[in-house]
Amino acid sequence: MLMRRRSVARWIGGSALLFALAGCLLPFVGPSTLDWSLVLRRQDPDWSILIDLRLSRTLLGLFAGGALALAGALFQSMLRDALATPYTLGVSTGASLGAVIAIALDWGSVAGVGGIWAGALSGAVTILFVVMGAATRHGQLSSSSLLLAGVAINSVCAALILLVHGLSGISKSFAISHWLIGGLDAVERPTLALYILIVVSMAFLIVHHARHWNLLAVGEAWAATRGAHVRQSLLQGYLAGSGLAAFTVALTGPIGFVGLVVPHLLRRRLGGDDRVLMPCAFLHGGVLLASCDAIGRAILAPAEIPAGAITAFIGGPHLIWVVRRGGTR
Amino acid sequence: MSGALLSLRNVGWQAPVGADILQHVSLDVAPGEFVAIMGRNGAGKSTLLDIVAGLRAPSEGSVTIDGQPLDAWRLSERARVLAHLPQVLRGDLSIRAEAIVLMGRYPHASRWFESEDDERIAHEAMVRCECLEFRQRALSTLSGGERQRVYLAACLAQQARLLLLDEPATFLDVDQQLQCFSIVRGEADKGAACLAVTHDVNLALTFCTRLLVLAGRGIARDLGAAEALDDPSWLRTFSSRLDLERGPSGSWVRYR
Repeated sequence: MLMRRRSVARWIGGSALLFALAGCLLPFVGPSTLDWSLVLRRQDPDWSILIDLRLSRTLLGLFAGGALALAGALFQSMLRDALATPYTLGVSTGASLGAVIAIALDWGSVAGVGGIWAGALSGAVTILFVVMGAATRHGQLSSSSLLLAGVAINSVCAALILLVHGLSGISKSFAISHWLIGGLDAVERPTLALYILIVVSMAFLIVHHARHWNLLAVGEAWAATRGAHVRQSLLQGYLAGSGLAAFTVALTGPIGFVGLVVPHLLRRRLGGDDRVLMPCAFLHGGVLLASCDAIGRAILAPAEIPAGAITAFIGGPHLIWVVRRGGTR
Repeated sequence: MSGALLSLRNVGWQAPVGADILQHVSLDVAPGEFVAIMGRNGAGKSTLLDIVAGLRAPSEGSVTIDGQPLDAWRLSERARVLAHLPQVLRGDLSIRAEAIVLMGRYPHASRWFESEDDERIAHEAMVRCECLEFRQRALSTLSGGERQRVYLAACLAQQARLLLLDEPATFLDVDQQLQCFSIVRGEADKGAACLAVTHDVNLALTFCTRLLVLAGRGIARDLGAAEALDDPSWLRTFSSRLDLERGPSGSWVRYR
């Protein structure tokens, strides 16, 4: 069945509603019960626990999960490969390497989160071009060699992260370890606002070109004779996807799996039309990560399980179950 | 030639590793022509089609459509005039067949989703290519021949005046091969210019109006279909084991 307009509206509208509901309800999940009389009078500590800690974490989770899922959907369309995500391409690990170097050089104390962002972005973009350069022969870029190069450079970056980690002093080393575990921490309001602004505008840009991603998913020759500027679109797509991953990784540390599992599950339900898939992937990815974070902070309270671990616990078995049930589809 | 929709002048193409694949190819194709591009493996058939489609820039010479150089066209406008069916397309896509056919309408619509008109045109194209029954299925669940019909329908839905088909009969059963070539002939009769790469000399003789034989890095023979039947010497380019057999109901190529 072709997705009729009404069904498209229902899917995107429903997903948006879920996203909004998650934003409203998840801040109330946590290790301690809130004292409503304090919250309603906007008095600390409960008011600031709700707003500065839990709401901030929920919003970060919603937009970080959305960014990662959208980047995954985008890379899967561009590379025509179900395994393509910013992680498998090495871009996220490159961003991690950049962020870890930034932490080790103490850029964070000089420029705040901007320092970590600068490190992650330059790491991601450098690795992107290294991987693309390694996979290009005679001006032709093949997606299988791109993934192979990504896997190879991934391990190089991981080794370099260990090296930087080992070379930095005790306090830096602790900060790096903490960051590498990956998870959502409350961030300051201006940072969060800037991050959301960046993610939303990049997501808008990507979804706006959804018809080009549809064409490219069939093939580059197919896209080129149907009005898409192939090279330009691919370059924009790679940069935008890497940017989404880098900005996110800098704030959350490496969180895998959302980018792989969310687009994959949705693609089975919705078909491959990126005009529907991409907005839904963004919204569901956000809900998934924010919910996993909420579960992680409530389930073993007062201990916390990082959101990335929960997504892997839930997403991994679920993906296998869906793939097996789906048979050859 | 003023009546030509497509003109190539002295076109050459060099592979990145240095070998010349095509040299000094000049060609005019008018509306209503259905040209079979033939030749042995590696003769440059797909390369020629790719150059016309704008997928490869010729290393020399010029290609014009409607008198306007290929690279002077806006991509979206060119896509309304020219449709190209690549030789190899992916099969393992979760996209539904109907969504593939609707991609033929992308160059025509600036809006995000296709209009009712676009859906009607896609529907008609699927009826003509006999693939309407699996319009709701994911491409990955279709057989090779079924997929090929979906992709052909997408090319028809593009309503282009210049149809470029790279081995359109690949994977098709005999009946569907005939169906495919008669659909393309129908497009030519309605005024489109069609170029199809094919290895099947009988399909070419039956449906095409003109045969272009590539050999020796250029056009070895350029014959009308009637001419090709009169003088079968062009068959030697392909194999010494081909013969033209004349019968009371027509002529065909047989193997020796």
